[in-house]
Amino acid sequence: MKTEKEPVKTAAKPKVAFFDFACCEGCQLQVANIGESLLDILGAVDVVEFREVMSEKYDKDYDVAIIEGSITDHHAEERLKKIRARSKVLIAYGACAAIGGVNGMKNSFDLDEIRQSVYGKDFKLFPSSPTRPIHQVVKVDYTINGCPIYPPELIEVLKHALRGLPYTVPDNPVCSECKLNENVCMYERGVSCLGPWTKAGCNSWCVNNGNICYGCRGEVTNPAKNANDVIGKYNLKPELVKNKFDMYNKCKEGDINVNRK
Amino acid sequence: MNYHILKKDELDGFIRKLATKMKVCAPVAKGHNNFAFEEVSSAAGIALDYIPTILPPKKYFMPPREKLLDFDISGDKPRDTASVDAEKLAIFGVHTCDLAGIQCLNMVFSEKPRDYNYILRKENIFIIGLECSRYCDGSATCALVGNHYPNGGYDLFFTELGDKFIIHVNTQKGEDLVEGMGLPKASSAYLESLDDVREEKRAVFQNEIGVDQKTLAGIVAARQESKVWQEIGSRCVSCGNCTNVCPTCYCFDMADTINLDMKTGFRTRTWDSCQFETFATVAGGENFRAERAGRQRHRINRKFSYPLDKFYRSFCTGCGRCTRTCMAKISLKDTLKALVAESRSVSHGTGQYSSSSLPLSGDESMVKG
Repeated sequence: MKTEKEPVKTAAKPKVAFFDFACCEGCQLQVANIGESLLDILGAVDVVEFREVMSEKYDKDYDVAIIEGSITDHHAEERLKKIRARSKVLIAYGACAAIGGVNGMKNSFDLDEIRQSVYGKDFKLFPSSPTRPIHQVVKVDYTINGCPIYPPELIEVLKHALRGLPYTVPDNPVCSECKLNENVCMYERGVSCLGPWTKAGCNSWCVNNGNICYGCRGEVTNPAKNANDVIGKYNLKPELVKNKFDMYNKCKEGDINVNRK
Repeated sequence: MNYHILKKDELDGFIRKLATKMKVCAPVAKGHNNFAFEEVSSAAGIALDYIPTILPPKKYFMPPREKLLDFDISGDKPRDTASVDAEKLAIFGVHTCDLAGIQCLNMVFSEKPRDYNYILRKENIFIIGLECSRYCDGSATCALVGNHYPNGGYDLFFTELGDKFIIHVNTQKGEDLVEGMGLPKASSAYLESLDDVREEKRAVFQNEIGVDQKTLAGIVAARQESKVWQEIGSRCVSCGNCTNVCPTCYCFDMADTINLDMKTGFRTRTWDSCQFETFATVAGGENFRAERAGRQRHRINRKFSYPLDKFYRSFCTGCGRCTRTCMAKISLKDTLKALVAESRSVSHGTGQYSSSSLPLSGDESMVKG
């Protein structure tokens, strides 16, 4: 696949802009949580737009556009396409942008029904469309998964983008990192966990901290087709696992018609 | 070398003294019948009665993630500095299956080109074994591979005798330690008790599969087109748990990471797994083991077949970790028994299938569906 991953010229620092669509902006907040490395990042790039921390706007082309949030109406779609047209490199940032995330739960309901429940009797005044991750709308050069994003991965992707190199999201289950961290398996604790089907790259962040994997990074390319053996061994209900999947991964259904690299 | 005696109520003093000389790691309980080797400073936290830990002691010899070198590409020629962090360490309570695992890795990493990071760590690790008098659970196959008895690979080896441990001293380092602590030598009565323990074990530990290692190697080698691979492959999650917890799996992946200055960086190696979808994928996207069945077959070959030709020993240590950790209930014992049963039915002429009727590489539907 041809991409625009030419190295960004180093004469001037690359211009980086953050944008948000339907999301909680928590992934942008993670930038502030990076700590000391943030100074190194700011030494390497010029942040020209970032609504959460600055009021300035920028009227030229962006070297790197970092997009948080998913696309849920035609206004968002048009705005995203305009940003794409002005950006050399575009990064899908966080679960909402990368896979649709929790916004995708909307797609489990009839659109008018869900509009009515949110906007009341005048719901027809508020246009809405099924939730889409941004790669279902525009071309995406890099993806940073997670809810929220895992800060070390942001730094890695940014370095790859600045050097014009492709970044490979690990295509192994979260278990592959979880086991290296020697966690007691959540299934051994009697809890169902989406680690076996979810892309690694987060260093099993949640399980390290006593939580299950909720599947926020999306499924591996070729997930195990059935969970029956796993469910059977630990005496769990199949719908429990299915419901957990739908929390973050509902928009995957939209990928069938999208040629995603 | 000699045998010495340590009273069980003196174990705490032994560990405390040892901990003044070096870091001491031992099995500790993690809940839900899981155990892990962790640093201890007394005997209080040590689980003497434990089933194999989540990760084997190999994590101290080849850490899951390890920095190999720092580099600098700012000049005309790239420069690099090798990095190894090998602290003095004692591992207490290593079962005989895990001692065998370390022996296997020693052979692998001593082959030329020798792996200096591994060897430097090994030189700094003091190993104290601990005998099992009974099975840890039904997943173990230590009698199949003869690892229910100690076969060397330690500095000291502890066996429980009532309220005491009898300690076999196997190295000069071990001798220096027990002499330094003033542990008394074992009288002949204790040696007779040790013989009794070993004799009792003979009745408890029986070959779990019913065929000897050499025969099993032949059976595995001959059953490359078995339907058993398809069966376990259809259940496999490709999570890599079975190889990550294996005491003798040593495959790793290397990666260079550049720092934000875009001039300096470092190289790391991380445990890899032949069970991962990406493991045998090469440039151009070709995958030599695209199917889970083929990957599971490879794993069994790497334990029971290939190493017998190369190293003259099984690389299965019988610890049972792969069975315990598998979320999809893939059992090593059941897999081996199924291969043996299939082999018998074929050799008796009752088997109806031939290798051509079960093409392993032809069935793409399982992977791509």
